Amino acid sequence: MNKNKSNRILAGPYLFWSVAFILIPLAMIVYYGFTNESGGFTFANIAEIGSPENLKALGLALLLSFISTLICLILAYPLAMILSEANVNQSSFIVMIFILPMWMNFLLRTLAWQTLLEKNGVINSVLDFLHMPNLQIINTPYAIILGMVYNFLPFMVLPIYNALIKLDKDVINAARDLGATQKQTFLKIIFPLTLPGIISGITMVFVPALTTFVISDLLGGSKILLIGNVIEQKFKQGSNWNVGSGLSLVMMIFILLSMAIMNKYDKDGEGGMF
Amino acid sequence: MSNTLIDFVNISKSFGNQLILDEFNLSVKENEFLTLLGPSGCGKTTTLRILGGFETPDKGQVIFDGTDITALPPNKRNLNTVFQKYALFTHMSIAENIAFGLKISGKSQAYIDDKIKYALKLVNLDGYENRRPDSLSGGQQQRIAIARAIVNEPKVLLLDEPLGALDLKLRQDMSYELIRLKNELGITFIYVTHDQEEALTMSDTIVVMNQGYIQQMGSPEDIYNEPQNAFVADFIGESNIIPSLMLEDKLVEIQGAKFPCVDTGFGTNKPVDVVIRPEDIDLVKPEDGTIEGVVTHLIFKGVHYEMEVMANGFEWLVHSTDMVAVGERVGIHVDPFDIQIMNKPESEDDEAVGVNE
Amino acid sequence: MKHIGRKIYLALIFILMYAPIATLVVLSFNSSKTRAKWGGFTLKWYSSMLADSSIMNALYTTLIIAFLSALIATVIGTAASVGIHSMQAKLKTFFITVTNIPMLNADIVTGISLMLLFIACRFTLGFATILIAHITFNIPYVIMSVLPKLRQVNHSTYEAALDLGASRTYAFRKVIFPDILPGVLSGFLLAFTMSLDDFIITHFTKGPGVDTLSTKIYSEVRKGIKPEMYALSTLLFVSVLVLMMLANSAPKKDESGRIKRSSFIAKRVVPIVLILVFVGGGFLSHIISNANSSSEQLVVYNWGEYIDPEVIEMFQEETGIQVTYEEYETNEIMYPKVQSGAIAYDVVCPSDYMIERMLQNDLLAEINWDNVPNIKNIDEAYMEQSKSFDPENKYSVPYCFGTVGILYNKTMVDEPITSWDVLWDEKYKDNILMQDSVRDAFAVALKRNGDSINSTDVTELQQATQDLIEQKPLVQAYVVDQVRDKMIGNEAAIGVIYSGEAIYTQRENSDLEYVIPEEGSNVWIDSWVIPKNAKNKENAEEFLNFLCRPEIALMNFDYITYSTPNKAGRELIEDDDIRNSRIAFPTAEDLKDCETFKFLGDEADAYYNELWNKVKAS
Repeated sequence: MNKNKSNRILAGPYLFWSVAFILIPLAMIVYYGFTNESGGFTFANIAEIGSPENLKALGLALLLSFISTLICLILAYPLAMILSEANVNQSSFIVMIFILPMWMNFLLRTLAWQTLLEKNGVINSVLDFLHMPNLQIINTPYAIILGMVYNFLPFMVLPIYNALIKLDKDVINAARDLGATQKQTFLKIIFPLTLPGIISGITMVFVPALTTFVISDLLGGSKILLIGNVIEQKFKQGSNWNVGSGLSLVMMIFILLSMAIMNKYDKDGEGGMF
Repeated sequence: MSNTLIDFVNISKSFGNQLILDEFNLSVKENEFLTLLGPSGCGKTTTLRILGGFETPDKGQVIFDGTDITALPPNKRNLNTVFQKYALFTHMSIAENIAFGLKISGKSQAYIDDKIKYALKLVNLDGYENRRPDSLSGGQQQRIAIARAIVNEPKVLLLDEPLGALDLKLRQDMSYELIRLKNELGITFIYVTHDQEEALTMSDTIVVMNQGYIQQMGSPEDIYNEPQNAFVADFIGESNIIPSLMLEDKLVEIQGAKFPCVDTGFGTNKPVDVVIRPEDIDLVKPEDGTIEGVVTHLIFKGVHYEMEVMANGFEWLVHSTDMVAVGERVGIHVDPFDIQIMNKPESEDDEAVGVNE
Repeated sequence: MKHIGRKIYLALIFILMYAPIATLVVLSFNSSKTRAKWGGFTLKWYSSMLADSSIMNALYTTLIIAFLSALIATVIGTAASVGIHSMQAKLKTFFITVTNIPMLNADIVTGISLMLLFIACRFTLGFATILIAHITFNIPYVIMSVLPKLRQVNHSTYEAALDLGASRTYAFRKVIFPDILPGVLSGFLLAFTMSLDDFIITHFTKGPGVDTLSTKIYSEVRKGIKPEMYALSTLLFVSVLVLMMLANSAPKKDESGRIKRSSFIAKRVVPIVLILVFVGGGFLSHIISNANSSSEQLVVYNWGEYIDPEVIEMFQEETGIQVTYEEYETNEIMYPKVQSGAIAYDVVCPSDYMIERMLQNDLLAEINWDNVPNIKNIDEAYMEQSKSFDPENKYSVPYCFGTVGILYNKTMVDEPITSWDVLWDEKYKDNILMQDSVRDAFAVALKRNGDSINSTDVTELQQATQDLIEQKPLVQAYVVDQVRDKMIGNEAAIGVIYSGEAIYTQRENSDLEYVIPEEGSNVWIDSWVIPKNAKNKENAEEFLNFLCRPEIALMNFDYITYSTPNKAGRELIEDDDIRNSRIAFPTAEDLKDCETFKFLGDEADAYYNELWNKVKAS
């Protein structure tokens, strides 16, 4: 294995890149987060999270992202199971079905939901036609949840799907052979063995949902502020970078938490998306 | 002998448009060590999986202990499987793996603990309770897989090429181990393999399969000594298969020379295949043999020498403890009872169906 | 039964995933400019898309950035993967953790952190910073695609190559690389896709003047998405779809390596070739659009959708001056760009109070009226009104004017609307649309209390803030130009809107009525000015003179429906109702309590912003 040592040098440019553009920028957020506008040390920016408006935005963001993560999981698991049982030859096609929408711009896709959900939008027209009660969720938190689920569902489906197709069919057969019913096999074997994929999916949905400002902006009628909106405003409109950084740091606590959980369950990056 | 435990009745199974089993019939007796032997794709694993309940046959029935279990799900069948790649539950400890089936059937914790101890002792892995499956070697994992299956006290243990992933030495050790286990447990083993040596060593009964059909069924000795067709002869051990002409009862013409044999009932002047095992050929002085030839190859194989003798246009494979140098002229002699006569298949399909007299 | 259930479930998910996409595709064929109404089938957006240089530029930028960032990330990432693969466990864990950061971290934090870095390093935000940011978040995707392939590589083949006398580089190239190539290519494709779809990180790291499709769309959200954008996205999507279908219909038999190889080509190589064609096309169109430039130039900076494109064509044809046309969404976005002087605009169209601010900061050049004789066509009244921000009429040419008022749907309200109070009426809960901009929202609240829209009085402003917070539960949404689409689509009963939009919306939906509330409102003028650093001042004046021609003013009025101060132009309007419309051309009596916005100073601006944030966060 003597080729190894000299090959390590190949990671050099990446090391440089990640220090310069990943680690140092993060350090800058920490710096801004703990200083005031004249550069003095302060906890005031972090404490800003305690203001009623910010607490409300954070709480709402946590709530909405939690709900949408849960919905994603409930929708994605059966879906991934159905897909994983499909013909093996189709697997790349299946992945494509979920990657393909990304070629239609994310903002346009989300905006299209406005047209679909509006009072006189497409969905309500169809419901009217069927003489069914109308769906009134545009500009409410429900629309935001829908937007989150819609945008982030693929990030839940793909890791679970990958975990499922990696499962040895004989392991499932073995459980059945040893007397387990289908339900028992699922609970004791399939579910625990796909846990890395599930955890990875949860992280990949929860983090962007928690921090989004676009979805709440587009589907919430600009009147529902999530923590992401507050931070975005601090940087883009109010130009108060210190407070913005402070709030970002608070938000990062939740991100770090999910990263830690993910590392614990998924040491080899096996629950990856691709 | 004991009673019939399992009956496959007219089982057919195909995947897509590929026919794997065609009107397959087989009976397995109680306490038998039965081996399904054949090349890959011969239907042996499918047979096992149908019995395990992992595949449903398109046609036919599986009778187990007098009842039809064809439609029964795997968890309702009183038999357990040892899978080719062990299929251990990697997220559980060894003890949890072994306890899996017992917990499902609601046994008491004390019973389970006893059983784990017993099973680990049986497979020579005492003290491994808290290890993780991926910390064990292949051979150890295989034993755990066996332990996990046998604690449930199945009437039948199905083994799907369980030694396939092990290296040679380990394979030999494990096959002795399996024989010991079989004797200690006193249950039926149905064993699937493509390795003729394993089959010959362990089995009470060998079923040789090809392309979904049984070619021959019998004791290891029968199968080896009396192959009923060219396929079996070729698959089991090494042999010379020579197209010949049956002149009359007890006389066959091989490559232009007349050999006395012991077979009768093939008619007169009938084309047949003759099987002669390489170790049954005696090399004698040129003038003493039935045919004369020249040694063309010589390889030392440890126990014996392997030689090829060119005689009357056919390369004869010969095993002998006596060496004859390349280029020397020799005579070939075969005792009449070492000559095995087989009907010639008319076509390839005939060959697969085999000769079931 | 079970299978039917599965199929239904799959179908439902499929509908969820593709309903919005289908919607966008349908909209791209909608001849009506508003997304709320189906105006019949048309292909016109597909042709006008190609002519729209701002969209084509955004497309070009997007593709170039996606391509370059994916390419560079693939090179760095593949090298890094090989390096990481040969590391010991500890070091490996460190690298994998670092790699995970951009993947798991929130985009907003990644974007902000890079923005802070660039600004601290005095790196001008622009193309390069977007590129760096995209490379940064793309590398992990490449590593995650390549590393697993490296793990699968049989190491002894590499050693066999060395044993046969190959150098290490040669052995890598010939033995390892072909094995990991599928991983490298899918890493590249993934990176390309991610870059293409990114908005958030680009949003924070982009500078003025550079737009990707995402940021362009985001800014258009407020103005209303141009249908050309739907057309472009549909085109992009369909080409990728067709490609993927081709790739998937490629022969799958793997009886021989040759067939496998061809499906490999279909799956990985063809998409990359397509990307190259896209990007190459981008380059080409850019070169072509630059090639036909003449020596005479004019750089125009205008509000979005604020001129008839044909007018520019006519001007170019008549004068031979090559026009470069850029758009902005709000005065506040326009101001810093002009102030920075990074791009020398020749003619800009700000609003009243912004002109005042620009004058105060000495950013404007005096107009030589000898070159703009057509100024005589402008109604004296508006020249007079302009004096509130341009006291001597030296710097500005009035272009459009209007009021802010209430647009309401006659079928959805019971009584005639006369007062801003209706926006606080519980009856219309969830049927009210408010303007999503500070000054406009506060203008409504201040006027309702009888205060000036330019108030800097703390008590008055606090009261207005309180009122706006109280109003919030009744508001369906805070929007800008979407009021138009939503009112046309009967989405709301009442909306705050600019008078110019009122004429257009009435044309589309006859149930709509516009009123200037009796408390008074904001009356505004957008005027053309020439920045001091303009390079083609004479061309700019020629352009202004052209715009002041009556027939040109009429064309613009028909197209943008905002009131024209051009008296001669107004007289050419054939439709009596519109020519004499008090919405388009309010009388002095209509405007008696109306005020023009004034620039209040940076400090007061900040205070307004703070109060507005309070309202939004409540």
